[in-house]
Amino acid sequence: MIDSVRSLFTLFFFPFVLLLSACSEYPKDPERTLQKVENGILQVGYSDNPPWVIKTDQDPIGIEPELVKGFAKSLHATVRWHNDTEQGLFEGLKRKQYALVVAGITDDTPWKQEKIGLTRPYREGHKKHVMAIMQGENAFLVRLENYLYQQNKAATQHRQP
Amino acid sequence: MKTLKQFEFPPELVPDFEKAKRLEWFTIAYFLSSALFIFLAMGNSQTMKTAWYDDVLSLTPPIAFQVASRVFLKSPNKEFPYGYHRVVNIAYLCSALALFALGVFLVIDSSISLVKTEHPTIGTVVVFGQQIWLGYVMLAALLWSTVPSVILGRKKLPLSKKLHEKNLYTDADMNKADWMSGAAAMLGVVGIGCGWWWADSAAALLIAVDIVHDGFTTLKQAVFDLMDQIPKTVSKEQPDPLLEQVRQTLAGQSWIKDFSFRMRENGHIYLGEGFVVPTQEENLIQHIASTVQTIENLDWRIHEFIITPVPELPQEESAY
Repeated sequence: MIDSVRSLFTLFFFPFVLLLSACSEYPKDPERTLQKVENGILQVGYSDNPPWVIKTDQDPIGIEPELVKGFAKSLHATVRWHNDTEQGLFEGLKRKQYALVVAGITDDTPWKQEKIGLTRPYREGHKKHVMAIMQGENAFLVRLENYLYQQNKAATQHRQP
Repeated sequence: MKTLKQFEFPPELVPDFEKAKRLEWFTIAYFLSSALFIFLAMGNSQTMKTAWYDDVLSLTPPIAFQVASRVFLKSPNKEFPYGYHRVVNIAYLCSALALFALGVFLVIDSSISLVKTEHPTIGTVVVFGQQIWLGYVMLAALLWSTVPSVILGRKKLPLSKKLHEKNLYTDADMNKADWMSGAAAMLGVVGIGCGWWWADSAAALLIAVDIVHDGFTTLKQAVFDLMDQIPKTVSKEQPDPLLEQVRQTLAGQSWIKDFSFRMRENGHIYLGEGFVVPTQEENLIQHIASTVQTIENLDWRIHEFIITPVPELPQEESAY
């Protein structure tokens, strides 16, 4: 009895440990978004929503585009901006056209039921603001959330000297 | 109205019964903490959602046990001459049905998320000022929902056999088997980290199948108990050897020419009726009384045995 339990235990936990060691970069993206973006191109969809995203004749400005630019820089990536309606952006995200979507989205967006992913709120306020990513790209998500968290921490420290 | 005797556990089993009650209180507290931990770490994972339902459902058997163990010791009265033992079975039928139905729902739900190729999106959380991947928190939660459960199950199993407590046995058996669904869930989360989006739904499906299995086992037991199946042993689901002892006791009486009997379970206790053809009618009442006494003394579980003298037995019913 004890023997069978022990052998089953090994049966389960040996591959378990093997798996953990096999994944050097952890977690990984099913669609390899982070790998593609690093030293490459970051495809970003945006929609006008001041003050979060402000459309201009050239690249968008505002709170979120600034964060995206800083994030891209940390990955040595070039941002390619795509303007569309929120509807169009989320459809594009589902079709895996963008790695990242910014449009002043909050965490209560009805789109979260769809096949997309949302970041943790990067700024707590009256409403919880988030960015949208391709569903399940967890390595990319972790990197993005880390960046946003550090930026937020720096900003709050700046405000309270 | 003739009611059953007041049931009490024999003195040597009272400490075991108290221990079982303590362990079941502990089980309730433990699964509450585990369900809370899993809920906090759930995120978008189908596996975690299923594991959460699994934990919440694991609460029903110990709660049913606590409620029932308060009620079944109440003495039989004019309203309920057979006592309150069936409360256990009714409570169990309800929780078994819930387990089974929810298991089926989760199988369908997990299959849909597998077919729709839902990719679980698992981000980060801040724990004590440190930002970490939620998957690690999930693994910790799953470990907490698995290891203590297996230990609890192993502790409760021998008690359930001593107390002839089927509900406790099923509960302990389910706890003990928890490590399988726990390991499946952990593999699911580790799989997500490896970039295998399907690992999440696949693990959830495995756990859901396990819940269906648990549900079906308990449902079957609950229905059989309510249908007055012959007494079975707690663990092996075989006819209780006590039946054979009763048969031999009746066969050993010189005043009995032929006999037939039946027994049923009523919660922890057995009730039985014997139909006997006496050799002569002299001292019949004393014979019946002393044989009833002998049979009821065989084991604490035989709570009441009634002997009815009959002129003859139908052909095929002879001698059990």
